[in-house]
Amino acid sequence: MLVQFNDGIDESTNREVIALYQYLQASDLFEYLIPAYNSLTIGLDKEKLSRKEAQAQIEAFDFNSLQSAIKPKNYLIPVCYEDAHALDIKEVESLTGLSRDKIIELHSQKTYHVYMLGFLAGFAYMGQLPGNLQVPRKDKPRLSVPKGAVGLAGAQTGIYPCEAPGGWQIIGATPLELFDPTVLEPNLLNPGDRVRFRSITVDEFKLIEIKIATGIYELEYFDD
Amino acid sequence: MTELKLHFKKAGLYTSIQDSGRPGVQHMGIPIGGAMDMEAMQDANELVGNPKYSPVIEITLQGPEIQIEGEGQIAFAGAYFKGEINGRSLPFYQTINVKNGDKINISGAIYGSRSYLAARGLMEEKEWLGSSSAVSHYLEPYGLESHFADGRIVSFNSDLPVAKRKKVRSKHPIHSECAILRTVTGPEFGQFPIEFIQTFYDTVFTVSGDCNRMGYRLNEKVQDYSNIKEMTSSGIIPGTIQISNDGSPIVLMRDAQTTGGYPRIANVISEDIDLLAQMRQGHELKFMLIGL
Repeated sequence: MLVQFNDGIDESTNREVIALYQYLQASDLFEYLIPAYNSLTIGLDKEKLSRKEAQAQIEAFDFNSLQSAIKPKNYLIPVCYEDAHALDIKEVESLTGLSRDKIIELHSQKTYHVYMLGFLAGFAYMGQLPGNLQVPRKDKPRLSVPKGAVGLAGAQTGIYPCEAPGGWQIIGATPLELFDPTVLEPNLLNPGDRVRFRSITVDEFKLIEIKIATGIYELEYFDD
Repeated sequence: MTELKLHFKKAGLYTSIQDSGRPGVQHMGIPIGGAMDMEAMQDANELVGNPKYSPVIEITLQGPEIQIEGEGQIAFAGAYFKGEINGRSLPFYQTINVKNGDKINISGAIYGSRSYLAARGLMEEKEWLGSSSAVSHYLEPYGLESHFADGRIVSFNSDLPVAKRKKVRSKHPIHSECAILRTVTGPEFGQFPIEFIQTFYDTVFTVSGDCNRMGYRLNEKVQDYSNIKEMTSSGIIPGTIQISNDGSPIVLMRDAQTTGGYPRIANVISEDIDLLAQMRQGHELKFMLIGL
């Protein structure tokens, strides 16, 4: 079963998707739920709920009731935009006509909304990028994008949680672990969370890596 | 209490632990997974007296070489493989008593693609997010196992053995080289031109070499097709049929990613995913539209 919301990608539609998802998830009556940008895919467990009953439950949902109850987390994510990690910075400079400093400033001053998870486990689709920072995907996807790479694609920005092939334009990298299969909630970022990026040096990147490896790193958050 | 250890001296082409998968974590971007042929998995479990969704070992096209340590009961259900146990022909669809030192050698699949090996008792494997199923191949970078390597050992603990069971030949599933799969409409069904839909349901497709636990690509283009409307990524599930940009269909299987951006013309109903799971490269299939 699919609940399709308005077409296109915007934050308020996605908040409605997430609100309905959280409401249905809490009822524990469904086999699985996949919230996406503007749609919610629902796996019915016919022993618990018929299609008709599910439809009635969805129609009865008051979108205003939960919006205020959602408590998103505000993550401040350290990103190194220096050459060693900014594989496509030259291409992004020429595509946008912006200087590197301006690209970093634009990318790290905005608060992003986490729309959905997908593509790779732990991969969070975030947006929206400022208009002048929006660039198309690479013509030829890279066979291997490094773990932690921070990329741009259209209006979206995202972080590769592990080494994988991909076509996003890479402008930096974070030392943070986005996906940890050894814990119950393996994803760091979840739909509805908010994210800001903080520019760090290569040295700070290495230091945070060591802190994570030794278990003393504490996640950073930002205030509203 | 008796213990049975299966030593996979040779792992085979793609051998993995599977149960009914991990529904309920798809919002985290994690595939459902589970046995490709759910009915065959349940058959295998019944033959050794296990609960029907107990974890089993799925073997694919080219089977493993197994040495037995301890004693216990096992059974195979699903595709027919050429195989031997201590040099004698390996029986399918019946309980087999095994003892220390027994050697099982399974070579190629004769009919079908996947068979399920169940052993009586409790499999000693850790669960991840509520399931013992191996993870999708694309989760390997996180250090999770997607399929066996040579030398893998799986252990079982059981109490009393069951009386031997057998499923008569006439009740075994038929694994044919051609099939008609039942589908219901997908979310973007109505966005395709009517000629496209007619051709889609008239075409005999062949399974391409690109078919695995994540999905089955089909060789034939439905017709020239340009995806006019850029689609926003949305949920996909096992059985979803996407039309790729060149106009050919992809049927998503148990280990598929949770979201995708190609239009979803239809969905293979869950019973018929089992049928498709037993097909392989070159096999022919047609889709049929049924009501919800």
